[in-house]
Amino acid sequence: MTIPKAWRFGGPPTAVHQFHPVLSPGDAMSAHVFALRAYLRGLGHESHAYAVEAKPGVEDVLPYRRLFRTLRPTDMLLMHFSIGHEVFGQLARLAARKVLVYHNVTPPDFFTGLNDHAALHARLGQKQVAALAEHVDLAIGVSEFDTNDLVEIGYRNTATVPILIDWTKYEVAPDDAVLAALSRRRTRILFVGRISPNKRQDELIRLLAYYRACIDPEAQLFLVGSYRDQPQYHARCVALRDALDLQHAVTFTGPVSDAELVAYYRRASVFLSLSEHEGFGVPLLEAMHLGLPVVAYEAAAVGETLDGAGLRLYRKDLAEAAETCGLVVERADLRGRLVAAGHRRVRDFATERVAERTREVLGL
Amino acid sequence: MQVDEVLAEVRDRIRRKREAGVYGPEVEAALRLPLPGGRPLFVEELGDPISALREALGEDVEYDPRSRKPFVGPFITLARRFVMGLLRWWLVAVRERQERIDRFTFRAIADLRERPSPGFDERLRRLETQWARFRRDMVAADLRSAHLHARFGGEERAIRAQSERFLDLFRERSRVLDLGSGRGTFLELMREHGIGAYGVDQDDRMIAEARTRGLEVSPGDAAEHLRELGDGTIDGLYAQHLAEHVLPGELVEILRQCRRVLAPGSPVVFVTPNPATLSVGAHTFWTDPGHLRPIPAELFRFLLEVEGYRDVQVVTFAAPEGRRLDERAADGAMRENVRLLNEVLFGDPDYAVIGRTPFMTPVAE
Repeated sequence: MTIPKAWRFGGPPTAVHQFHPVLSPGDAMSAHVFALRAYLRGLGHESHAYAVEAKPGVEDVLPYRRLFRTLRPTDMLLMHFSIGHEVFGQLARLAARKVLVYHNVTPPDFFTGLNDHAALHARLGQKQVAALAEHVDLAIGVSEFDTNDLVEIGYRNTATVPILIDWTKYEVAPDDAVLAALSRRRTRILFVGRISPNKRQDELIRLLAYYRACIDPEAQLFLVGSYRDQPQYHARCVALRDALDLQHAVTFTGPVSDAELVAYYRRASVFLSLSEHEGFGVPLLEAMHLGLPVVAYEAAAVGETLDGAGLRLYRKDLAEAAETCGLVVERADLRGRLVAAGHRRVRDFATERVAERTREVLGL
Repeated sequence: MQVDEVLAEVRDRIRRKREAGVYGPEVEAALRLPLPGGRPLFVEELGDPISALREALGEDVEYDPRSRKPFVGPFITLARRFVMGLLRWWLVAVRERQERIDRFTFRAIADLRERPSPGFDERLRRLETQWARFRRDMVAADLRSAHLHARFGGEERAIRAQSERFLDLFRERSRVLDLGSGRGTFLELMREHGIGAYGVDQDDRMIAEARTRGLEVSPGDAAEHLRELGDGTIDGLYAQHLAEHVLPGELVEILRQCRRVLAPGSPVVFVTPNPATLSVGAHTFWTDPGHLRPIPAELFRFLLEVEGYRDVQVVTFAAPEGRRLDERAADGAMRENVRLLNEVLFGDPDYAVIGRTPFMTPVAE
């Protein structure tokens, strides 16, 4: 990849701003935006986060309309893209150095018939990514998987820069109430991520039925993540849990604080992902960072993010997935090797390393 | 990470739990329980679109015009109801037309699937005939195997000597299966030592010959015979010069089936030409047109390991007497080189890979 020629002659950007339609607390993408902003400000750049909607709990976010008044042609605008929004079409026409940061769009098929609103936006997203190709100077995929998508869509100037994670935020003391709730005597399977049909929490619930019947009758499943965006899917997952008589075994935590999140990772026995679509997969790295072995179904960018540091499942077989987790829980040596490999892998995403790569790719 | 090892162990555990009845129909039903409260996920339905289409056609669409916003909610609801009322008859007309198109399309797809297609069926038949002929030609199935054996087949004494190497593995066994039993050399050896054994072979002449010796041999294909056997019904497996006659995928299937039909702790022995010996890999291997491809020992060993066999070993046989380079060179280095060259060119003609099925271990707590 090359830095666009115009930038090299135009000198460093006068400011580096970011946009994403919605910024909310506890969301990996918003965390990425804020970590980037802190880094850019640290470099001495003027840097703001813009959004159409800032959910309660996030601060210092400017309304996107202000971009039309204040953005200068020598400013850089990073447009984070994960779902369609009418505003992208307007932003595309702004005169500035425009960079698309692509987090991938969840295929609409996951939402069809379940959440018409989400399906509509996913479809719009797919169309918009294609339309934006001619309007941006550079497109960044947060994984090779995403970058390959960009190239296929028709982007010419592309690069891969992983998500910038501020690892210091996990240095909080784990929440006592969560620690107390997770008994060490039982198997505790953890998955972290919004409740969403592409993440297939329903499969995790079915898997728990096998786990309790065939491996550990006391096993528990913790589904950490907000369910506000997908109320229909959440309600049906709850109904599935009840139909399988797992009311006391499956916990939907809803959104959690950093201290609670750390406690879940610290006290769980294994992190299991059966997700069928991830543009990057921050929770996989969080689990590895906090010493939790990872078992994950190989889909989209999952395998790339793990890079051999977790056990990958190459086919969707719930019994096999459950037994793999059982093996990880039972075998201290296997768990030890997975944790060690996880720690090694997370070093590739060290804050300074990703920051340096960001600086290099953006030509700052 | 030894992923293969983990997977083998995982599959083993599932198999044992199935056998023990822990993983029974109830658990299977739980794993397949559809998501309550509506149609299955669209991504899942896409796997079987025609039956999903049939159901989707009769489905009603519901739209809830109520707004839950505070204060303005009732007004929004009212406005929506008003607009819906205005559009109702127009939408009914559009929907009627769409409904007709949907039904036509579905019927057309369903008909296309079931309607006989003379041109297509004829082509399919031709293809099947050609394919069958190709399969026959590939292994020269029309060559009379007795003649072929007389010319190129191994000497019975040598075959018996090879089999004797593994006698100890099969002692105390009561039902050993010899896949591709041929003239019954191995079965005869088993009988002499009081070991219960029977054979399976595809060649009618071979079967007839074995039967005249009073041996139990049934006709059939190796993989098919194994599929018909119940779990844990045999306690030993011997297959001499079988693996090189089957395709790699079929070999894996044979190994998988063997693993199922063998009782825990049963020995398996596969003997096959050794392609590491160049005169074998490049020459004698191909004197049998029924040989499909040589299998390197490392690969065979891997296949057994990944399918969950334990104590897997490769055993080689002594090199035959006959054509060799003269090793009586004066120079030590030269002598060593000639010895090595002899080994590569005229070394072990066959190798055996042996292993056993795992013993029953208690199911994990």
